[in-house]
Amino acid sequence: MNVKNESGALFHGVGINNGCVSGKLKFFQRGRTGVEIIADMPSAGVPDVERARLERALTQLRGRLSELYRRTLADVGEQEAQIFEIHAMLLEDEDFTESLEREIANGCRAELAVQNTAQQYAALLKGLDDPYLSARAADLSDLSEQLCDLLNGTERRVQEKGGEPYILVAEDLAPSETVSLDKSEILGFVTFGGTPNSHTSILARAMGIPALVGVGEIAPRFDGCLALLNAADGSLTVCPNESQVRAFQIKQREENELAKEHERYLRSLINKPAITRGGHKMLIYANVGEAHEIEPALLNGAEGIGLLRSEFLYLSMDRYPTEEELFESYRDIVRKMQGKRIVIRTLDIGADKQIPYFDLPREENPALGFRGVRICLAREALFKTQLRAILRASAHGSISLMVPMIVSVEEVHRCRRLLDECCAELQNENIRFDPNLEFGIMLETPAAAIMSEELAAEVDFFSVGTNDLTQYTLAADRQNPQVAEICEENREPVLRLIAQAADAIHRHDGWIGICGELAAELQLTQRFADMRIDELSVSVPYLLGVREKVTACK
Amino acid sequence: MKEFTYRIEDENGMHARPAGKLATFAKQFSSRITVKTDKKEGDGKRLLSLMSLGAVCGTELHFLIEGDDEAAACEALERFCKESWCAESGK
Repeated sequence: MNVKNESGALFHGVGINNGCVSGKLKFFQRGRTGVEIIADMPSAGVPDVERARLERALTQLRGRLSELYRRTLADVGEQEAQIFEIHAMLLEDEDFTESLEREIANGCRAELAVQNTAQQYAALLKGLDDPYLSARAADLSDLSEQLCDLLNGTERRVQEKGGEPYILVAEDLAPSETVSLDKSEILGFVTFGGTPNSHTSILARAMGIPALVGVGEIAPRFDGCLALLNAADGSLTVCPNESQVRAFQIKQREENELAKEHERYLRSLINKPAITRGGHKMLIYANVGEAHEIEPALLNGAEGIGLLRSEFLYLSMDRYPTEEELFESYRDIVRKMQGKRIVIRTLDIGADKQIPYFDLPREENPALGFRGVRICLAREALFKTQLRAILRASAHGSISLMVPMIVSVEEVHRCRRLLDECCAELQNENIRFDPNLEFGIMLETPAAAIMSEELAAEVDFFSVGTNDLTQYTLAADRQNPQVAEICEENREPVLRLIAQAADAIHRHDGWIGICGELAAELQLTQRFADMRIDELSVSVPYLLGVREKVTACK
Repeated sequence: MKEFTYRIEDENGMHARPAGKLATFAKQFSSRITVKTDKKEGDGKRLLSLMSLGAVCGTELHFLIEGDDEAAACEALERFCKESWCAESGK
């Protein structure tokens, strides 16, 4: 992957975090990793002696793991810290300790006992069908190497204190090594292997260290050379010439200043409407899954909520929530909105979202199975409980109701009928609700897009779920790395379906929003403006960036 | 001997964290706790043994509990699977 230039070498990898750093490369030296099985001491292999050595090393490692856990919890986060909790549990596991004892009783040196045991279980995990569990083999190797180092007295020196900060180069880094990196001494790191999803990348991202992974081998002769690491474009320039260094320094300074300047500018946009230069106004809404996300959304200029995933209460309970519980939670959320519109999507479970007490049958192909509105229409009592709760909450603010996974006009009629029944019931019971509540559908199946003319006559709005629309249109699961590229590279069919739906709903005086991930893709904003999309709903971190992009559109 | 069956709802299956929680929870009982899938069998108190089951989402876990506190253990484990494990995966 490297390209020679006149003075050094250029490498490319996948960048983690943005940022430009320059410094000397330092190749990571592990302590002795192979075990030398030589009887260098007369006592080597004597079970009592080896047992005592191992016990000492295990105690030290337990202490180190709890330190790593505390440190990661404080510096990075709980999710990441749990890696070390699992390491500690593996160490305590009886299968592991019994195997160690067996090896030692047989006259093995402690190091060999550790290696044999770790290898045996690593092989077992590697053989499992599940990619996550096979990846845990690496955790066992990490533990095994740490134990051997403690037994040998060889410390894996990740860095020497007091030297000048440097860019660390390694074949790969174990999680325990990554979090041990002292951020004050390390500018960034580069690994030959690794993927954006490996533990190391996840930790680096959370720690905010610029890094490049999957760079391929870097020759050891570059150890100690000056290098320029640009995580934003994934490049590493080794032994740069003077003009490259100067250009890089300027870029670094500019990036810092630009970042600050840009942040100030974005903040200034918060209360300004998002209007293209051509005069098309787009509402910038937020997608939220829980009540506590509403405040940050409003603080970042959300003009409404374009998608409230109403499953949250169902997911947090071990039984069906009652109408009263649902009503109270929706009402509290609506009150937080200060009169701004909130689009509540009715239950969308099934497929990747499962709730045990729903007792749904196991399906061969859940994405094409019993999910979303299909469940609601098959279990009317469940659906009506939610509809009544949403209707009652609508008396306290501006709610729009939206139904997921629609494929036909017939389904819309059935939903409408149930909604009308709920309205009539509430009226009879003298319970307040908003009689003008907007009713819309998620546009996330090709069928709905193709039938958009007929559907537009029945509803007040469409909201495009681009994630599902993409996978159903292209017959490619974007979570499957082998076909994810198909989803990335074929936007056009999806965009044409959206354009067709936008025309249809506008002819019927309705509005159309986009709440899938494509809404946050800035290179598509112009296209959406051209389609006269009325609203873009994105997660909180993207709110200001999208707002800025709209104002820059033609 | 007591027994019950639990179908894994966690989309991640029997991963390290749920397996660790289950093993830790199971250790408080003196009864022998065996967990079977249709292919393999493991010790409910041991993390590696549980992970090695390679149980994915949808796998039926058959728990066999034998010993002095089997009644209490069976009830508590069944509740643990339904409540703690699911609450965990809800995130």
